[in-house]
Amino acid sequence: MSALLRLEGVRAAYGHADVLVDVSLTVEEGRIVCLLGANGAGKTTLIRCVLGLTLLRGGRIFYADHEITHLPTHRRVALGIGCIPEGRRVFPKLTVEENLLAGAYQERSWTRIREQLERVYTVFPRLAERRGQLAGTLSGGEQAMLSIGRGLMRRPRLLLVDEPSLGLSPLLVRENFRVLEEIHGSGVTIFLVEQNVRQTLRIAHYGYVLAGGRLVASGTPEVLRADPALQAAYFGSATA
Amino acid sequence: MVDAALLAQHAVNALMLGIMYALVAVGFTLFFGVLDVIKFSHGDVLTVGAFTGLTVWLALVAVDLATPWLAVALLVLVPALATALLGALIGRFVVLPLKGAPPLNVLLATLMCGTILREAIRLFYPGGANPKPFPALLPTTAYQLGNLNLRLDSVLLFLTGVAIVVALHLVINRTRLGLAIRAVAQDAEIARVMGIDHVRTVLITFAIGSALAAVAGIMHGLYYNEINFSMGLLLGVIGFSSAVVGGLGNVYGAILGGFLFAFLQTLGAMAMPFASAYRDVFAFAVVIAIMAVRPTGLIAERGVERA
Repeated sequence: MSALLRLEGVRAAYGHADVLVDVSLTVEEGRIVCLLGANGAGKTTLIRCVLGLTLLRGGRIFYADHEITHLPTHRRVALGIGCIPEGRRVFPKLTVEENLLAGAYQERSWTRIREQLERVYTVFPRLAERRGQLAGTLSGGEQAMLSIGRGLMRRPRLLLVDEPSLGLSPLLVRENFRVLEEIHGSGVTIFLVEQNVRQTLRIAHYGYVLAGGRLVASGTPEVLRADPALQAAYFGSATA
Repeated sequence: MVDAALLAQHAVNALMLGIMYALVAVGFTLFFGVLDVIKFSHGDVLTVGAFTGLTVWLALVAVDLATPWLAVALLVLVPALATALLGALIGRFVVLPLKGAPPLNVLLATLMCGTILREAIRLFYPGGANPKPFPALLPTTAYQLGNLNLRLDSVLLFLTGVAIVVALHLVINRTRLGLAIRAVAQDAEIARVMGIDHVRTVLITFAIGSALAAVAGIMHGLYYNEINFSMGLLLGVIGFSSAVVGGLGNVYGAILGGFLFAFLQTLGAMAMPFASAYRDVFAFAVVIAIMAVRPTGLIAERGVERA
């Protein structure tokens, strides 16, 4: 297997506060790789660095053997990076269908856009029913569907998924994980940021644990479940 | 009792002013939409548009090509393109570099930028300190409809303005570019994540808004047959007020605000025929009162979801 995404010594900071310190990790093509960690560990910042929304203070990022460290966001998207952002972030005053079209913004072929629309509507029939409705008027669960559908419109090769279960009912959380597995089954590599450790480790092939902006553990789910660093990352070290 | 013919004449005048104000206000609201900035050089960009139009006219006269229809076409197209470029340049080199700075800095920088444009026209345009006659290029045939005396040039100007507003509506709601503009306005960061080129979208929006200002400036020149270096000052403030009272960020609010302001001015002029210079005082006073009652403007664009 080859590395689709590779971070080398990534450093990021807001003002004088370091948020990521020397983070190196690899996402192999065809896998579900997860990034675990408590609130404020730097997970979302790491996703933002991969997308080019937060500038690095150091280190480099490679995607499919291109160095993308200095590429603007839209050029990274053109290379096949998609994102389902934290908090869903649908465009509230665009209709459901316009949100999906925005997700396919770089796709020029109408035939392919229509194909993708149909595909998303097949996975989420609810969105088809509401295609003319403003996204801001959807329920939280429907917005989650829309956010996922929008992230799939460009048929990304690497999908970054940030906290998909945040604020959803347990039933919807399970549904979300099922959809993620389906997406992965269609050949998309997934880099998943989550707080829900148990469910995440159930579907992931490999995981990293972030605490205080540093990687403190990595390994397969079996290894991570047994690693005290994972517990410590969420509940603080017992010796502290 | 107000004379019906006079009333109708006032109404026509208000519609004319309204469409011009609406074109200026739409620019302010578009800029605020995509970048959350107030671009105070907008009024002076309008002046540049009007003077570009005058220059085109003088050039056409000089080469003996000044047939009315060709002149009208070039007088709209050339200034629109020139200000589109100017607006994009201001966006690229003044507004975008200040991204992340306090909004007040953008406001000041664009205000100064506008002053530079205005003073440059006054100092460097031949005779720029004095009002310049603007050619009356449109047919002035008058139609007598009952008591109403309607001139063809007014009708043409008004219809052109409306056509431009409709075209803008279609661009924003039916095209890929419009989708990008709306997406950037609602969530600039996520728009980038969707693959929308942020800088390009912002600059195109600045270009479109500035081109609309040039059209308003040319309309103003053709309607009053006179332009001057400071015309953009008041038009800019009026356009800004119209955009705010309509609900900054909302295109339809800006159009509504433009017409509202024009009708208030006209009302002020009618109510105080002895002192029509006070019409602006009256209109601005009412706008302030409206803002006190509806701080988010008539059509609130923001804060609804965030509340």
